[in-house]
Amino acid sequence: MNIKKDTIVAISLLLFCGIMINSSFDIEDPGYQGMKASFWPTIVLCLLSIMCLVMLIKSVVTEAENNLNSNDTNLTNVFFKFKNASICFLMFVLFLAFLDYLGMLIGGVLFVFGLLTMLGGFELKKIINHFIISIITIGIMWSIFTFGLKVILPEGEILRIW
Amino acid sequence: MIDVILQAFASIVLDPVTLGLMFIGTLAGILAGAIPGFTIAMGVILTLPFTFGMTAVQGLATMLGVFVGGFSGGLMSCMLTGIPGTPSSVATTFDGFPLVRSGRPGLALGLGLWSSFFGGMISAVILVALAPQLAFLGLEFGPWDYFSLIIFALTITVSLSGGNITKGLIAGLLGLFAATVGEDEINGVARFTFGFDEFKQGFAFLPVLIGLFAFSQLLTDVEDDKRAKSPLMSQSGAIVKVEHRQAILIILKRWVNLFRSSFIGIFTGILPAAGGSISNILAYDQAKKASPNRSNFGKGEYDGVIAPEAANNATAGGALIMMMALGIPGDIVTAVMLGALMIHNIIPGPTFIQDEPLLAYGVFIAFFVAHFFMVGLQAFSLRIFLLVTKIPMYVLASVILAYCAIGVFALHNVVFDIWVMFFFGVIGYFMKKLGFPLAPMILGVVLGKLAELNLARATGISDDMILFISRPWSLFFLLMAIISVIFPFYQDAKKDSLFSKLYVPISMIVLSLPLFLMGSPVRMIVAIILVLTGGYFLYKRISSLNPI
Repeated sequence: MNIKKDTIVAISLLLFCGIMINSSFDIEDPGYQGMKASFWPTIVLCLLSIMCLVMLIKSVVTEAENNLNSNDTNLTNVFFKFKNASICFLMFVLFLAFLDYLGMLIGGVLFVFGLLTMLGGFELKKIINHFIISIITIGIMWSIFTFGLKVILPEGEILRIW
Repeated sequence: MIDVILQAFASIVLDPVTLGLMFIGTLAGILAGAIPGFTIAMGVILTLPFTFGMTAVQGLATMLGVFVGGFSGGLMSCMLTGIPGTPSSVATTFDGFPLVRSGRPGLALGLGLWSSFFGGMISAVILVALAPQLAFLGLEFGPWDYFSLIIFALTITVSLSGGNITKGLIAGLLGLFAATVGEDEINGVARFTFGFDEFKQGFAFLPVLIGLFAFSQLLTDVEDDKRAKSPLMSQSGAIVKVEHRQAILIILKRWVNLFRSSFIGIFTGILPAAGGSISNILAYDQAKKASPNRSNFGKGEYDGVIAPEAANNATAGGALIMMMALGIPGDIVTAVMLGALMIHNIIPGPTFIQDEPLLAYGVFIAFFVAHFFMVGLQAFSLRIFLLVTKIPMYVLASVILAYCAIGVFALHNVVFDIWVMFFFGVIGYFMKKLGFPLAPMILGVVLGKLAELNLARATGISDDMILFISRPWSLFFLLMAIISVIFPFYQDAKKDSLFSKLYVPISMIVLSLPLFLMGSPVRMIVAIILVLTGGYFLYKRISSLNPI
């Protein structure tokens, strides 16, 4: 397969522009004098579409230097290439999804501990270190924000029930 | 005037809390600058959430401590380990590391430290002198001129951020688009909300900025499994005694290099997006060209250490000039500072120095004071630096990711902001992977609303779009924008090509046109100088093309 990354990106961005331009037609016009609310976003989206088109043409015309090879399209290779980043994404989504339930203190400790262990390894000594690090660092940050800066961080249902 | 300066001085120097915050900020900046993979911008971004509970002066003073400290932190790692801590200290490695290797680590550190100090002091003096004058000039600007200035700021960011100009422009436009989501400020009409109430407020620019810059950087830092698990530095150097007296004497003897490099730094700082990473290399190159000991460069030449370090600290003053005078951030750090001011309901612009003199002069004084902290803390921070470098990157990244989440939540006390940070973090990560520069997108997000507001004001006053090219300042900025878009092609063009030979002289002649239109005697003189110089270069270069 001989597809250029830039071609795929340009087509995706053009699709995005199409959807947004279509959505810009739904922007309400309250009938006030002066510049309409849809004017500026439409200009930006039109310019963006033109630039994406230029990128698409350039990617098709220029010599293949940025092609997707079989390694890039192999799912296993892609997974290993982005393994750590994917772990961070996943852990962060979990942290956010359970934030209302666990709160910033417990959720934060679990997030840091989980991420440290997933990235650093599962040996017993490391797990103990990760546990200590997560409790100390989140504990300090939570205390600074709660008591020092008077920020009311999400308490979480668990602590609320207790 | 004097009483304002004295009050501002008292609010910084006589307030132990502010001094304490600056102490911590400078120390944190030195460490952030010293650790490879961390940048000064990241240090300032991570400081931001702590400043929410402070006064505007305290918050900015702390950030300035991080900013100034960061520049000198970079020199510590590049000299002791040969690895630049930040892009702004790359050129320092060329002669700093060989000087250390030749058995003079104390002198090398002293030269770097005191060059940074003197460079910063020179730029601080220029900042105090130039920012009010530039702000005075900014009072002439109408909405047409401001809109064109923002367009110029974006195009120059694209052309200086390196790489593909098409991708840079796309990134900038994506940033401008992101700023349009939510209720528009003129009509209060919801845009691109897709039925989600949370989107009505739009994306607060600080979560976007933290996501695009810090979050995506952390993901990149832990990408390589092996590198993420090993300590930050395999060789972390040893504690050395800085030779202060000898270093000062050597620098003062080379005052021409010091001043030249500082002015290069200031000028580079004033240009949007052209930060310390460019100025240190430019200054090194000029120092090498001007030196009688050119062959010694790369082997531990003193001038090779003085030039980049004086330039990169001077860049900070240059970047502050634009932010203070016109409200246009010169780089990511000043964009964050702009955000910090907005949190305190202060909008920098041409009237900022007049409206908020205490705060404005407080910033000037904090910039001075931060340099003294930087010198004082260097020896102490060296010990902490040696400890920090033993920590693996994955530990730092995990803790900082959690800290980003807490900090972003503290901004408006809404969880949606953390989702925004995450979303833009993912976008930033993949944009980096696909070769899109992030600086234009960040500037686009920061300046998007301002651009739209000024466009609305301009069209509200008059339907005549010709005003964008008939008003001298607006024409000047639009011409600068066109010249900056063409600049990357000039860089890539062959040295002996017609385009390469004509670019600079034609640009000079073209830029003289709006200056002539401005009418004031000084600007007319500048315009005549530009025409004459451009004409002379044009004649010389055309003659060289057609030798008789």
